Amino acid sequence: MTRWLPRTYLTLVYLLLYVPIVVLVVFSFNDSRTGYAWGGLSLRWYESLFNNRAMVNAMWNSLWLALSAATVSTVIGALTALALHRYRFRGKKLLNGMLFVVMMSPEIVLAISLLALFLLVGLQLGYVSLLLAHVTFCLPFVVITVMARLSGFDESLPEAARDLGASDFTMTRTVLIPVIMPALLAGWLLGFTLSLDDVVVSTFVSGPSYEILPLRIYSMVRVGLKPEVNALGTLLLVFSLIMLMLSQWILIRSKR
Amino acid sequence: MKKLALAGMLAVGLTGCSSEEPQVLNLYNWSEYMPQEVLDRFTEETGIQVVYTTYDSNEAMYARLKLLDDSAAYDLAVPSTYYVSKMRQEDLLLPIDRSKIEGFDNLDPELVNLDIDPENKFSVPYLWGTTGLAVDTADIEGEPVTAWEDLWEDRFDGRVMLTNDMREVFHVGLRVLGYSGNSTNPDEIEAAYEKLSELMPSVRTFNSDAPRMPYLEGETDVGMIWNGEAVMGKDTMESLEYVYPEEGIIAWLDSFVIPKNAKNPEAAHQFISFVLQPEISALISEEIGYATPNLASRDLLPDEVANNRASYPNATDMINAEFQTDIGDDALQVYAKYWEMLKSGR
Amino acid sequence: MHSVMQQPFKTAVLILVWGWLLFLVLAPNLLVVGASVMTRDPVSFLSLPLNLDAYRQLFDPLYLEVFLHSLYMAAMTTLVCLLIGYPFAWALSKVGKQRQLILIFLLIVPFWTNSLVRTYALKLILATNGLLNSALMSIGLIDEPLQLLYTEGAVIIGLVYLLLPFMILPLYSVFEDLKQELLLASHDLGAGRFSTFVHVIVPLTLPGVLAGVMLVLLPAMGLFFVPDILGGSRNLLVGNVIKNQFLDARNWPFGAAASIVLTVTMAFLMFAHRLSKRRIGEEGA
Repeated sequence: MTRWLPRTYLTLVYLLLYVPIVVLVVFSFNDSRTGYAWGGLSLRWYESLFNNRAMVNAMWNSLWLALSAATVSTVIGALTALALHRYRFRGKKLLNGMLFVVMMSPEIVLAISLLALFLLVGLQLGYVSLLLAHVTFCLPFVVITVMARLSGFDESLPEAARDLGASDFTMTRTVLIPVIMPALLAGWLLGFTLSLDDVVVSTFVSGPSYEILPLRIYSMVRVGLKPEVNALGTLLLVFSLIMLMLSQWILIRSKR
Repeated sequence: MKKLALAGMLAVGLTGCSSEEPQVLNLYNWSEYMPQEVLDRFTEETGIQVVYTTYDSNEAMYARLKLLDDSAAYDLAVPSTYYVSKMRQEDLLLPIDRSKIEGFDNLDPELVNLDIDPENKFSVPYLWGTTGLAVDTADIEGEPVTAWEDLWEDRFDGRVMLTNDMREVFHVGLRVLGYSGNSTNPDEIEAAYEKLSELMPSVRTFNSDAPRMPYLEGETDVGMIWNGEAVMGKDTMESLEYVYPEEGIIAWLDSFVIPKNAKNPEAAHQFISFVLQPEISALISEEIGYATPNLASRDLLPDEVANNRASYPNATDMINAEFQTDIGDDALQVYAKYWEMLKSGR
Repeated sequence: MHSVMQQPFKTAVLILVWGWLLFLVLAPNLLVVGASVMTRDPVSFLSLPLNLDAYRQLFDPLYLEVFLHSLYMAAMTTLVCLLIGYPFAWALSKVGKQRQLILIFLLIVPFWTNSLVRTYALKLILATNGLLNSALMSIGLIDEPLQLLYTEGAVIIGLVYLLLPFMILPLYSVFEDLKQELLLASHDLGAGRFSTFVHVIVPLTLPGVLAGVMLVLLPAMGLFFVPDILGGSRNLLVGNVIKNQFLDARNWPFGAAASIVLTVTMAFLMFAHRLSKRRIGEEGA
């Protein structure tokens, strides 16, 4: 079969995927207020972004939330993956299935169920409720990432450690953790990004005491064309690109 | 176990970090309904930080306050007339301590002591305004648009915008049929729904976040708009006209209220007093185009604002005008059902 | 054989993760099921007489139309994703190994970018004064700007744009696994190209198709911010209905029932996915 047809097709789809992103980046440097026409090069939208106190505050809140949600979910997720990998126990299939269901569930279903729970137990909506919700939807992704790493892992190593008299816990700490480190980092980065991007769940479980970036962006884009959004989007893009390259670099390096 | 303990400590440590803030006022308001300058000056004068969170409908504001209940940290909200009475009757508001409010006497006597809140124990008027017709005269050909009824004309196919506000949209439908915009009669509401669904093919979008934007962006030419939005829109687009429809405009009054679970009612009182200063009221009316009920500030307004009929209608403009009133939860449910049908229909 | 020390570690981990899942996944979902059979209460959201009114309301012809329309848009989104994604994944699996890694990296870059911001960028392109209309007008293809924004089409474009990678990735992985030999065998037995496609490739890629459908269809019913931004608050998704019921209209039983519809759809798709995988397994054996 001719080779140019598939290639052209691939190129075309990639173009479509990237046009909006390129437009966003280019327009973030646009001086014009109206948003559609080109009015010259300018950094004014970046400037106005950083002069907006509420915006900067929401940025810090979001970063802090993403940092903590990624960390907590990585700790719990990694331990779960280890347990699933190493031990036989009753309900193992159920646990696996449940994590899969959480991953597949539409976010909105998760969102309202958590809202119902938080209201029932009287938890104030704010940082804590956001953290619990974000950890919940990040968890299965961390488990999967770590499991993938473990399944390709040479079983003779822990056996050897055990033969040498190491307890399970010591073995985990000294042998397993270093091996799964790349997966931990990749899972952490994935959780970080998921948390930073989430609108649907956060809409339901956030309160006025803790404003976060995605909700701030949401209220901005609903008002109409705001050039500040382009600037913010570009910053977020650069930020996620760095994170993504970092995680790929870690994964590739670990394979060698 | 060390790891577990660490995780636990981390979780506790993380939660502990977000408290201990300087004085904060959580203001819950309509989007684009308070100039940033006012907030900045308030912070400058009092040292109190203002966290400005927005909503785009009374229903959303009310539902969120109910939902958050004890954890609702909003110190100040700005419901429209009919929601003031609803929230007051449901015991959702803190009484306002008049001794802490300066400048209340400056308010227009016609806009205080209304049925929604006799003696204004729970509310202080912020701004009042109207919902009328917006017409982009540059893009409209033929007869000028003078009535709500005109929106149904074929020539506006795909060019109409409505506010994303259940009560207002049905108000228009009801008025076109000759009913009251505050109808609680299910038959009338259904008739309004039927009438409005004829309009739906023409409707491009619903917008209550910034109703001027679809006109400015060229997506729509004619439809509903709030007067302040029309005034703001005219600054960028000269051809955007505000028209008082023959069936009568929708009039409303938005008031400051303090939700019963406010964490900082003291700051809320301070903020109300701050806004009631004639100079600040004038600044707000000038910036965002709605009418201030603060009579003392009227003299401070530049002539082009005070004489702008869009912001300050005259007696002729107010013929047939109807104020929105509380219609009760049962009627609201009827509206809500038809509203969802209307928006999802094609 | 097992040392004593491992038991507390294992127990602690299991308690932690089970506790988390029971408290933050199972319990909340049971609450939603509970809420769906209660009665709407204007003051406290829910009150007692248990009944199935909320479910009956779902089948009210009025709401049924909302659901069918949302389902239609989600289905269209899924179909478009499949039509674009299937040949894409196939073409991708034909590319050399080194280049494949880069291409996959490029595919997930947008996924790591804020989805709200990307939806907003589409608005810049689709608007009446937007880039697409300006471009088409400047090359003389059209005289009047097309009405693209605030239409059903805009919502579908937005959903496809956000969800396409989720269709491609599982499809790509089944194409990778497709045994080259199997195809050759089919050729040797005299099957034509078309017949190979229908009888061999399609059934073998079915699990990938179903996984992709699952990953696209479910979010396509829930992403309420897409109609808000691109649909002019019209062309609502089930997600918008649920959000409105919870955060505006305060009809929790109905919102909960609507969300259970989503859960049931998910269960159905997962079941179909498992079934297709098992069948492939049997045929392969």
